[in-house]
Amino acid sequence: MAVTPGTETPAPPYLGRSVRIVGPVANVDMNQTPHPKNSRGELGKALFNWYRNTISRDPLTRVSAPNHFADQRNFLPSVVNQAPKGKVNSRQIPVSDPAAMTRHIKAVAHHMGADVVTVARAHPSFLYAASTPPSGARDVYQNRSGDVYQGRTPEQMAERYPYIIVATTAWDYDKLQAHRHYIGDAAYHVSQMKAQLILKALEGYIKELGYAALRGMSNPQAAGLASGVGELGRNGLLIHRKFGARIHMPDPIMTDLPLVPDQPVDNGVEDFCKICRKCAINCPTNSVPFGDKVVFNGVEKYKINWLTCYKVRPYMDAHWGSCLTCATVCPFTKPNVWWRSLTVWALSTCPITARPVLVRVLKAIDDRFWGATRQTRVRWLGYDSGIKPGEQACTVAGCTAEHGTAHAAEPVGNIGYYAPLKENTNRFVKRDA
Amino acid sequence: MAWRSDGLKVPWRRTERRSDDPYWDFFINTPPADRANSILDVIRKAPEGNVFPTRADLHSPEVTASHVKEMARYLGADLVGITELDNDDAGHPFAIVCAVRAADDPREALGIGGQVPVQNGLFVTFVLSAWIRELGYRASTATSRDGTRLAVAAKLGTLDRTGLLVTAEYGTGVHVADVIRTDLPLTAA
Repeated sequence: MAVTPGTETPAPPYLGRSVRIVGPVANVDMNQTPHPKNSRGELGKALFNWYRNTISRDPLTRVSAPNHFADQRNFLPSVVNQAPKGKVNSRQIPVSDPAAMTRHIKAVAHHMGADVVTVARAHPSFLYAASTPPSGARDVYQNRSGDVYQGRTPEQMAERYPYIIVATTAWDYDKLQAHRHYIGDAAYHVSQMKAQLILKALEGYIKELGYAALRGMSNPQAAGLASGVGELGRNGLLIHRKFGARIHMPDPIMTDLPLVPDQPVDNGVEDFCKICRKCAINCPTNSVPFGDKVVFNGVEKYKINWLTCYKVRPYMDAHWGSCLTCATVCPFTKPNVWWRSLTVWALSTCPITARPVLVRVLKAIDDRFWGATRQTRVRWLGYDSGIKPGEQACTVAGCTAEHGTAHAAEPVGNIGYYAPLKENTNRFVKRDA
Repeated sequence: MAWRSDGLKVPWRRTERRSDDPYWDFFINTPPADRANSILDVIRKAPEGNVFPTRADLHSPEVTASHVKEMARYLGADLVGITELDNDDAGHPFAIVCAVRAADDPREALGIGGQVPVQNGLFVTFVLSAWIRELGYRASTATSRDGTRLAVAAKLGTLDRTGLLVTAEYGTGVHVADVIRTDLPLTAA
């Protein structure tokens, strides 16, 4: 039977042990993902107003977090992402050795400040769907997905632009310990801005080499799994060998630059997540599953309840912007030191049948030294997570300023506080079950 | 954590060996054919945001100065100093000078790679000045010719015979980012 070139569906990609493609995968329409749904008001007034009409109380959040600025001009990614697109250089640099070019692109991204760079082989199932013109909303790069596709099918796109470059940054470990606090937000949002700047610069550089660089095309997690950034954990986050769950997954670059793709990795996440459940226990909204993997859209994986995860945000606006609990409590999220490298190495070289025993030992060690829930006090730039939420105090040594607000008692001990949840969060679960 | 694994790396196993990379010279030295492929102009020309109408409850000037420096370092500045301005056109009393390490001199290496120190410097100065404006104080960045002079005044280093900034930490391999002029209450140091 004759098949038109570029229309046959390639075999499902291997994504490592944590995720398996078991059925047909429909391309995800980016307009049906959480943030676009919310910006159309489909998730209710509270979330809509939090997302579109809320100015943060925290000056640093107003500079670094999307959509909570007082003035968009003070927010760097809005400048970077809406910059005019450059042209592809007509004098293409010939690539005789794709392996050398792969090393070069990785060195370039590291030179610009990326912590993780990998290359995935593109697969049609990774791509976002080309939405039809009436609903073809613009993405953050002012693309319409239909324009990027130019009438091609996902199969044809994956053949024409066969590689996806995933470049990203990691969050600061020490600041992340004060998650559900403005300090943790700063760790998250500042490195996110940096990652967006790096990807934009890398996109420009690939065009200067004379090759196409498409943004807003590929699901970053799928490309990250296929290229061995990490494995997908129970918390729905990619877990990296060095950084654990504290890495961003910004929009990757799809390109026709000849490269050598990386392979999925085995860090032992699959075996750890079967036993651990620390993220599920600590999640303030019970959005992380305790149970087994499920099949969703033809993909077998742990699936979090994104709606309940999302719905807590407007209630916590006065205290923090990004929760980050599941990323922080993950036993893989540790400082990047020799003993964590040794542990991950031991876990990933252990025979798979013996891993459950090793995981139980490691989990016991983790519980003993880190506790089921960490409450570390972090002080940074006058922020102090040891001050109870709702109270105010100046704990900066040597500060002689007279602060205008009434001050509470000094914080005691070395315990950090989470902002309490105003609501019984089970109500979110019951309502949506 | 004194035992970072970074300190234990063997020196001869460098992951990025520039001499083996046939494309590295293009990356560093070939200026972009289309200026729009470089993000530097866009960030430089971006209009300045508003000053937040309510001023933040600040600490004493010495503490604020140390916080500004800590923030600059967190954003990626390798050196940061603050100096007083005598006669600023807009009446800003202080200048914050940030410098980033530069393996290649951005004035000579005009490729996207050669301009990476400029890109890193712009990231620091854009976010830092935006943060000061959100604290409720004025802050403006502008590429000015007296950047090196102010860097010396802010005690980042000294001038050599050719007028280049020499720092104790990185020698001449630094790029002085745009100077931030502000009325945030600081102390020069």
